[in-house]
Amino acid sequence: MRFVTRPLAAALVALALAGCATVTAAPAGRFQAGAGQEVTLGRMWSDITPIMINRGKKVRVLSIDGPLLNALYVGSGLVPGDNIVRSYVKERPTPLMRAGMSASERLEFVSDSVAAMGYQRVELVRPRAALLGGAPGVRFDLNASTSEGLGIKGTGVVAEVSGKLYLTVYLAPAEHYFQASLPEVESILASARITG
Amino acid sequence: MRAGLLAAVAVASLAVGSAAQAQRLAGVRPDLASDEGGLWSVSDKAEIGARQSAELDRDPALNAYVRDVACKVARDHCADIRVYVMDRPFFNASMAPNGYTEVWSGTLLRAADEAQLAFILGHEISHFDRNHSLTSWRRRKSTANAMMVLSAGVAVVGVAAASSAHTYDGASSIMDATRGLIDVVYLAGMASLFGFDRANELEADRLGLGRAAQAGYRPAAATEIWRAQMDETQASDFKRVRNSGARTNIFASHPVDAERIQALQADLKALPDAGAPGRARHRTAIRPHLAAWLRDDLRRRDFGQTLHLIDRLARDGEDLGVLNFYRGEAYRQRRGDGDLALAREAYLAAAAYSDAPVAVWRELGDLRRKEGDPAGAKAAYDNYLTKAPAAEDAWIVQDSLNSLTSGK
Repeated sequence: MRFVTRPLAAALVALALAGCATVTAAPAGRFQAGAGQEVTLGRMWSDITPIMINRGKKVRVLSIDGPLLNALYVGSGLVPGDNIVRSYVKERPTPLMRAGMSASERLEFVSDSVAAMGYQRVELVRPRAALLGGAPGVRFDLNASTSEGLGIKGTGVVAEVSGKLYLTVYLAPAEHYFQASLPEVESILASARITG
Repeated sequence: MRAGLLAAVAVASLAVGSAAQAQRLAGVRPDLASDEGGLWSVSDKAEIGARQSAELDRDPALNAYVRDVACKVARDHCADIRVYVMDRPFFNASMAPNGYTEVWSGTLLRAADEAQLAFILGHEISHFDRNHSLTSWRRRKSTANAMMVLSAGVAVVGVAAASSAHTYDGASSIMDATRGLIDVVYLAGMASLFGFDRANELEADRLGLGRAAQAGYRPAAATEIWRAQMDETQASDFKRVRNSGARTNIFASHPVDAERIQALQADLKALPDAGAPGRARHRTAIRPHLAAWLRDDLRRRDFGQTLHLIDRLARDGEDLGVLNFYRGEAYRQRRGDGDLALAREAYLAAAAYSDAPVAVWRELGDLRRKEGDPAGAKAAYDNYLTKAPAAEDAWIVQDSLNSLTSGK
């Protein structure tokens, strides 16, 4: 019970705080994704960062229809010790960015973080060379499932610039939602500008 | 002859247990209007969820193996139980009142042989046979009611938060967040349902031992698996885990302790030190899943426990390519003092075996590079590209190789 009640208490506190937090509109146009990265949105999104209680502190989360239907995670300027998904219980740590990660380790950091969000059978596929805000990075696709068995697809890019990590990960149900917003996500990925 | 007869009587007596306890009749479904019928309905719903779960392992050979072991110890109840293997990296097996049974991959990875798995399943079937869930439910009814009240409270918080959101999107997001929270409450409620009291656990140990022995399995496996769980708990990276004691499953409210093992040892004295361990059959069944399950185990990020588990799996000298590779992965990901050197040793050990994943060469290359050994890195990267020229990440390795050559 102890391992259940501690995260439960943390989640209750976080939810109580979330009750005060506001989801804000992220209109079409330039969007400052934390310190150090800017993207251009082609349509209205919702900035759901305040209610995504498990996100790392340098991660912004955008959605169109709610986080289970489409979620765009944008991480900017992560340094060693930062994470994409926060850990609330010491005994359940989440992946941390480390100094001197190899390209494989950066991809592992992303896929293990997506698994730490609660997705199952996370598999990162088709890694390929890409630019993120002009910096050399790795583009990838992702397959996963929710614990209830709903198929999830994802795509994203990760790059390290001057020892800081920048990443974007888009996740949505494979059925309809992933494809529906993919063109918009592609243009967001292409618009990224690293300012940090 | 006389000794053999006595042993047979001892096995039979352990398998039957005390006559005072209510025993479930095979093939009988309770009245839906009864509290037991209610428990079955809840279990039926959970079973539907298990069937749809992404974590359900559908490997026919693995399922046939686990089902066969379960049936051997379930005997008359074989037709009453339905076994689902779930790919979850925790030690857990549980049997719901309606006979729906989950065996998690973490259990299959930790059972050293078929006899240990038979004891674990015998233990769960004994809870089922003696209707411990029902007695536990009646005892804890007030706790369960409290959990329902808490669930309702969480839903109210969610609705209140959603109504203050500015957009529909915001509202649905908050409800999504609330739903996740209710799952946590549900898990806590399940824990109260399956948290049997100490007397139930001791009885399930004793009856489980009897069932496994009667099915022809080596009785000593019972104490071995509990001891292994205690040892793995002590290998944890986290003091809180070490202090919490080993659990027989994630819902268990009572740790396995010396007293419980002593009770089993007393029962063991009455049994012949014979029976089949079924080690080779067990290993054959789990071998195709070793790599995936170890990768899942690493995602728990309790590297002390994973390393302890790998040491146990490597004891018989099998699958050393896979096991040494994941030993290296545990050290690489832990990154404590001296861990990168230990990772290198483990990868090198893995590379000597034909079952080593080809990724061992990529990891060796990356490590050598970090250690300032460009020649070693180049050799390892070359090896990777030779062995896996069509790998999806071959271009990344080629890129690393090119940068070594260019000195960038």
